[in-house]
Amino acid sequence: MKVLELKDVHKTYNSSEVKVHAVNGVTLDFDEAEFAAIVGPSGSGKTTLLNLIGGLDMPTSGEITIDGTDLSRLKSSQLIDFRMRNIGFVFQSYNLIPVLSAKENVEFIMLLQKWSKEEREKRTFELLKAVGLSDRVNSRPSKMSGGQQQRVAVARALASRPKFVLADEPTANLDSKSAANLLEIMEKLNHEEKVTFIFSTHDARVVKMAHRVITLEDGKVVSDEVRE
Amino acid sequence: MKDEIKIAWRNLWRNKRRTFITAASVFFAVFFAVIMRSYQLGTYDMVINNFIESFSGHLKIQHEKYQDNPLIDYSFEYNDNLAEAISGIESVTSVVPHLESFALVSNGPQSKGAAVIAIDPVMERDFSNPENNLVRYRITPESIVQMKNENVLPAHVIGELEKNTGRAYSSRGRLELELGLPASDNQLYIPPILDNIQVKNGYLEEQDNGVLVSDRLAGFLKVSLGDTVILMGQGYRGVSAAGIFAVRGIIKMPSPDIDNRLIIMTIPTAQEFFGCEGMITSLAVNLTGRSNRTIRTAQEGINSLLSGGSTVARTWYELNPVLYQQIQGDSQSGAAMLGLLYFIIFFGIFGTVLMMIAERKREFGVLVAIGMQKGRLKRILSIEMLFLGIMGLAAGLMASMPLILYFNHYPIVLKGDLAKMMEDYGWDAVMPTAPVGPYFYMQAAVVAIMVIIATIYPLRKIGRLKEIEALRS
Repeated sequence: MKVLELKDVHKTYNSSEVKVHAVNGVTLDFDEAEFAAIVGPSGSGKTTLLNLIGGLDMPTSGEITIDGTDLSRLKSSQLIDFRMRNIGFVFQSYNLIPVLSAKENVEFIMLLQKWSKEEREKRTFELLKAVGLSDRVNSRPSKMSGGQQQRVAVARALASRPKFVLADEPTANLDSKSAANLLEIMEKLNHEEKVTFIFSTHDARVVKMAHRVITLEDGKVVSDEVRE
Repeated sequence: MKDEIKIAWRNLWRNKRRTFITAASVFFAVFFAVIMRSYQLGTYDMVINNFIESFSGHLKIQHEKYQDNPLIDYSFEYNDNLAEAISGIESVTSVVPHLESFALVSNGPQSKGAAVIAIDPVMERDFSNPENNLVRYRITPESIVQMKNENVLPAHVIGELEKNTGRAYSSRGRLELELGLPASDNQLYIPPILDNIQVKNGYLEEQDNGVLVSDRLAGFLKVSLGDTVILMGQGYRGVSAAGIFAVRGIIKMPSPDIDNRLIIMTIPTAQEFFGCEGMITSLAVNLTGRSNRTIRTAQEGINSLLSGGSTVARTWYELNPVLYQQIQGDSQSGAAMLGLLYFIIFFGIFGTVLMMIAERKREFGVLVAIGMQKGRLKRILSIEMLFLGIMGLAAGLMASMPLILYFNHYPIVLKGDLAKMMEDYGWDAVMPTAPVGPYFYMQAAVVAIMVIIATIYPLRKIGRLKEIEALRS
């Protein structure tokens, strides 16, 4: 079942002197529970493509459909709401809410979706346990290591049972042990939660674990390899 | 909402220094604005009260031409029925007759133009009550020598007394105020001081043919109790008025201008002196309050009683337009200063708000990216600003209130050139604060509005926030 489809997507930035084609005619689709990596050299358009998929930016042309909904047809507030219900984000620099504890950060999206207190608590403890942080529920981000913060970010991204999680270079700021630990957790959750993970990366370890590797160069897909 | 309040509250304490700076901007804005306005209004109040209590009253009934041409020729016959009818008007508390004119007062080679006010000594007790202002204490060089000899006062108290040599006081409170000694010193040293500086004085009997002389005028004329003064002037319809009068008492008027030139006598004595039997120049009316509405309503009521005659009721500010304009002018320059203060402080608050927004742009981008509606984000930011505003406002009001109350009871007594300048204006050289009133809350409201205006910009920024740009910042 297709959760995400991109049809001839272009993104062009008009600087004062030149036009930059950051994404140049990308057509892709993703099934449920994929574990896909987007790779390519710096400036190849990985982050731009993730931003377009996440509805954080709009394509210059082409169509992005998530579960049958064309993102370009949504108004700003509808798009925010749509993102909240369908897409989880994991950022390179974690971006947790600094004034909230690990538990509150994970709960936050569910709170926005008006889940009941019992449901929220059940899901939060389930996810924090899954990412190995059941002993740090009340810690604020400033009291946690980078690896721990990124694990909270993964739990937060999965909290509202999204269709897929977008992770932009999730291991870039982590040491090798924390990175390996995070990847194991993400892969486990991919299986358990049946959620599609799409991540941009330079990290060979991430590429090695991915079930599908899409390579971008100059904004174009140059290879799309599915591994068994 | 509960969660928004929780996040907003925690956000405040993420950067304690910034929170304190912003709250301090609000605090100082409220504190200085309230104190400044309180001193201004307190001083105006004192000046107006001095004027009103110095025989003017809130309203005065005069011959219609008396205001432009204050001659005794424009006096009118005093009628008990009229006074009774006026007393029946709502908000009127007292009505007393006055006969006012001018005369040259002299003693030996000293002479000076003086205002002569004739009163009913008994009725006046319920009005300006000049008996309250009789000089009861006077610091003289002789009394200081005596106190030094008695050796009961420490050097710093003697020093204060020496600084105030020649000054007269109508009450112990006024003496304490002007000496400015600490409360513990007052308790210990004021009784022996009073014993040494007490002076004899007297008031007018109902049919008295003597006069009361204001303290500064008495000093100029070098007269004291039991001496006589000669008065010369023009009486009713051009008759010459001359007489010799015994000094029954020395009176200390709060307004230095009036204290320099006042003679008080009884109405029958003045009528005889000026040759205007049965006539008075004014009926002074005191009211329950000084609001414009009270004064105007009473004025209309009195004027309807007087219609058809040659007399009219005038308000205190119509009677003294110069004082009124002085106050208005000073109030406007004070308002301009307040405006400047607000302007500076507004940009202080606005600057810290901008800093806060710039620091958190990326965070706002993340929140919107993961699904927080901009409206909700705006609410959180508004609550943060509300907390900051409330903290600053509450602290500002709480810090200024005790000061206002204290200086309302114990006004600052000005000394030196500033005191002289105020006395030259005809004002008493003290600076009281106004009691807590609408102005107090008004300043707080203005600062609250400033905080709201300072919040509009960040809210607009959030409304126009582009997630992708915020995340890149």
